[in-house]
Amino acid sequence: MSLKAVRIVWRISLLNIRSAMEYRTEFLLNIAAGAIWQVSVIVFATVLLARFTGMGGWDSSDVLLIPAIRMLAHGLFVLVLGRLHFIGRQIQEGMIDVYLVRPMPVYRQVQLAYFPTNAIGDLTVAAGLMAGALSRSHLDWTVGRISYLIAAVLGGMLLEAALFAVVACAALRFPAADYWSRWLEELLGTFGSYPLNVLPKAVGGLLTYGLPLAFVAYFPAAVLTGHGHTTGVPYWLAAASPLLGVLAYLATRLLWRWSLRHYAGVNG
Amino acid sequence: MAVLHAWRAARVTPLGELHTPPRMTAVLVRLAVQVVLVASLWHGLYSHTSTTAGLDEGQAVTYAVLAVLASRLRELDQYAGRDTVLQHMHFGTIVYWYLRPLPPQRYYALRALGEQLYGLAWALGGFAVCLAAGVVEPPRSAAVAGVFAVSLLLGQWVLYYVMLVLDQMCFFTIRNNSAMLILIFVQNLLSGVYAPLWYFPDWFITLSGFLPFQATLSVPLSIYVGRIQLADAGVQLAVQAAWVVVLALFTRWVWRQAARRVISQGG
Repeated sequence: MSLKAVRIVWRISLLNIRSAMEYRTEFLLNIAAGAIWQVSVIVFATVLLARFTGMGGWDSSDVLLIPAIRMLAHGLFVLVLGRLHFIGRQIQEGMIDVYLVRPMPVYRQVQLAYFPTNAIGDLTVAAGLMAGALSRSHLDWTVGRISYLIAAVLGGMLLEAALFAVVACAALRFPAADYWSRWLEELLGTFGSYPLNVLPKAVGGLLTYGLPLAFVAYFPAAVLTGHGHTTGVPYWLAAASPLLGVLAYLATRLLWRWSLRHYAGVNG
Repeated sequence: MAVLHAWRAARVTPLGELHTPPRMTAVLVRLAVQVVLVASLWHGLYSHTSTTAGLDEGQAVTYAVLAVLASRLRELDQYAGRDTVLQHMHFGTIVYWYLRPLPPQRYYALRALGEQLYGLAWALGGFAVCLAAGVVEPPRSAAVAGVFAVSLLLGQWVLYYVMLVLDQMCFFTIRNNSAMLILIFVQNLLSGVYAPLWYFPDWFITLSGFLPFQATLSVPLSIYVGRIQLADAGVQLAVQAAWVVVLALFTRWVWRQAARRVISQGG
């Protein structure tokens, strides 16, 4: 991206923020919505942790690291790349047709469609949970471990973006495919926040190799907390989760370009 | 003629789904996978625990799977057909609801009835499969089944009014996506969709007892799995019925207020 493009992105983002603040109550409620969505994940995780101690052989302070990584990754995804989640609406309203004739990449225009106010709430709660998880953790937070944690969060963000990009690509051709994005978000929230070794191996395998949800937070947290050898996958694969996120994201950028060439429009 | 109009309004959303086989396939796949995942999760959680919060493994799995199936009752995709109230307000097409020979409140009720009956067919099909496969436990007696059916009916009735209140909000606020999201979250949390309310702290259960949400799902499912005994079910059914009456009166009043100030954006 050239310097000029960065400046345009910045200016449009500022305009989007001003636009979002036009309706002050909605702006504040949007922040609350993001926070409350994240709180729902915490509520679910803490209720399970309180009732079922020693989940999957993990200490509860270690388990907390899983939702903390996932939620922080999710918050960053919502802030930076989250508009993919709402591409169904943009396709339905014919906005993609408009984007195609503008002198800016369609992907960038999709991401600049509006400012994701809810990301403020998402990130606030996620940062709070991460702080709580780190303060309760008994691990020695060396530079290497902290670096891996940061890489894990960024990798999780990119992997989540890649998953939603696949659905968005399908929606470009089959708008009804957007239906899957809601389920994907639900699955990530429900099954991405605790050790997947509580599930039968076949189901855990499905959430590893079918829908690679385990790579978002479970595997990185397992590596950080010393459970990397009990995840059911080779240690190197679990450790490479952040890298897989980068590779998956780059792959879906190619898929996006291919899908856009086959976009037929919904309005004839 | 009135019956014909009712039939046509009731089948609006189900027809949209029946005419898009990929969407129905997606629903089938999603329902099947979700049931397997949820059942696996609760079996896994109970692998080192026999009973917690008054629920044993069988009860917890049954509750969770039935909650997934019950979620199909009001989960039809109105959005794809641009038929949510929020979209009608956004596109300005809400005015058509007031130009038809059918009052908007009746159209809304008939459409919801059609959706819930269509969703019930899905839920019953899923229930039959889960029962045959041994995923869920059968009701402990005919009396439990009967009381559960009555409670489920009342619960769906309450849910209809709760969803109606959310939609009615659209008439009074220009932008309300966030409020809708928050309220849907509250509905899911306090009705026990995410996890049975019995697992939550006592203060949370007490708080939810003062709100209508637990009447939609938590009460009927708790009766089914035996967490609410038949001896106590009468009180719960009375509370559900009271919520139906209160919400019916409230939404009736809101419909009248809404009709006085329909704001049509964009058209």
